[in-house]
Amino acid sequence: MKMTQEDKIAYHLDTNNALDRVTELVHTRLVDCGWRDQVRLACRKAISDSGDRIPSVDELINNITGNARGMVPDSVKKELLHELEKILVNVDKVAH
Amino acid sequence: MDIVDEDCCQHIEDYKRDDINTFRVVHAIFVVCTDEKSKQTKLKNAFCHVCQRLGPHLHACLHCVFFGCHKHIREHTADMKHCFSMDLTYGQVHCTKCDDYIYDSKLDEIAMTNKMSAAKCNKRLLNWTSWEPLEEDRGDFLNCNPKRICITPDSTIGLRGLLNLGSTCFMNCIVQALMHTPLLRDYFLSERHKCNGLPGTCLVCELSRLFQEFYRGQRVPLALNKLLHLIWTHAQQLAGYEQQDAHEFFIETLGVLHKHCEELSPQHSTISTTEKITKCASIIDQIFAGGLQSDLVCQKCNAVSTTIDPTWDFSLDLGPVSLGGRPPSSLIDCLERYTRPEHLGSIKCSSCQSYQESTKQLTLKTLPIVVSFHLKRFQHSKEVRFLPTKSSLNVFFFIQKEKKILTSISFPEMLDMTPFMSRNKTSSSYPIPPDNRYSLFAVINHLGSSINAGHYTAYVRQQRDYWYKCDDHVITRANLKEVLDSEGYLLFYHKHNLGYE
Repeated sequence: MKMTQEDKIAYHLDTNNALDRVTELVHTRLVDCGWRDQVRLACRKAISDSGDRIPSVDELINNITGNARGMVPDSVKKELLHELEKILVNVDKVAH
Repeated sequence: MDIVDEDCCQHIEDYKRDDINTFRVVHAIFVVCTDEKSKQTKLKNAFCHVCQRLGPHLHACLHCVFFGCHKHIREHTADMKHCFSMDLTYGQVHCTKCDDYIYDSKLDEIAMTNKMSAAKCNKRLLNWTSWEPLEEDRGDFLNCNPKRICITPDSTIGLRGLLNLGSTCFMNCIVQALMHTPLLRDYFLSERHKCNGLPGTCLVCELSRLFQEFYRGQRVPLALNKLLHLIWTHAQQLAGYEQQDAHEFFIETLGVLHKHCEELSPQHSTISTTEKITKCASIIDQIFAGGLQSDLVCQKCNAVSTTIDPTWDFSLDLGPVSLGGRPPSSLIDCLERYTRPEHLGSIKCSSCQSYQESTKQLTLKTLPIVVSFHLKRFQHSKEVRFLPTKSSLNVFFFIQKEKKILTSISFPEMLDMTPFMSRNKTSSSYPIPPDNRYSLFAVINHLGSSINAGHYTAYVRQQRDYWYKCDDHVITRANLKEVLDSEGYLLFYHKHNLGYE
């Protein structure tokens, strides 16, 4: 039963390009609200703080991700939640 | 931008020799989705093979069929001694031996080819950076191009006065508005118009030449004699030396431009035969035309007949509303009135085949990129006059009366068109796009009391936040308040967010 629901969602995300649209929307919002620049600054700071040794991308990801998630504005989260709700409501409408 | 040593990993050479095709295919399908089918493949297959999740940082192993999230792909490559994996969000390749992401010019080249052939342009993947010439080339380039224009907030480039050729201020102000339409400017300055017509007959070519004149940095006023002549030959009702209505001129000009774009551009014939066009290819249509939906509702059987017409003429009534309402005082009022259901009287209903009371409602199905509102300040009315004569025979005649409505209509700098768009009650196939905001970039004003007399001036926006008042050959700096306080006859708004097709 659980699998079929997932299939439905996958089918729905596929046919309506919903996944693409949501991803694009979040990307735009994060750039617009300055989140990307903040994260970029945080990365730069981490690199300059680490002195002579240049950290690898994986280390940066591990160090920055937690903070970066916290910096996402609530409005963006709310909008994303709303968009996902809209998509999931429609899933049952086109159920096969 | 830091300059990265392009070929920083030695381990990739062997891989490139034997397996480069794997990279090409995986990148095409899972990173850029070059066609619709690959999108399905991606959705069905791209999840972590260990924890079943979609991320974060989903990678594909470039040696075997394995997908993994950030944690599990590292475990996989370490366990299996596989060297390369690729991040599926951006297409970066990770080398286990280097323990970092690597850059390689050959891989970048393949990635770029894939991105260019992607089914849909993806902002995340095509992030163009500005090009900087190398230090040693710079001198050569500067010598080759001794004439340079530098744009600063104080520069007046793009501003040019226009001589009045005897009551041609109606043309001057429309040309100013067109010259400062951002998207039209980008189109013409990137020389996109390729003409097939006879030299000297095409209005689009003339407009193209005017853009060159406006943006070459000269400050001497221009005379638009050639443009005027072309308009006279192509739209004969405008020929003559008297003052014309700026709105009529604008609509006619767009019409002629549109016609020339369609007839004279070489790609016209090929497009129309190979593809079904839903939207016309002419730049004028793409920028100015919106889809106006008109719903005719029969009051008896509630049947709705819907038609959608492309239009670039949005004329808004200003006169008092018939049923005791107040006359509109703002642009929003006018638009609400424009999109309100309107009684039409008895009309034959196509579904119940009888004459019934019907209502008609106009809404916007698709929004144009540039919307120009025409405030109908000129009212045409016929008046009967009697001539007092000595005989008993009354002599009367009609006179055309032009009345100008001087009501002040306030208009915002930023306008949201969402309330005036068509709501789709039945299906959600065309959801209303989330951002329908517009900003003001040109206003044309009429000074004087009648349509056949008076003077037109234009306010235009240049360089985002600077406003200028164009009064024929005199251009002065203005501010936003002055613009918003002006009377307003034609208002030009540009869309903020240009959606993908």
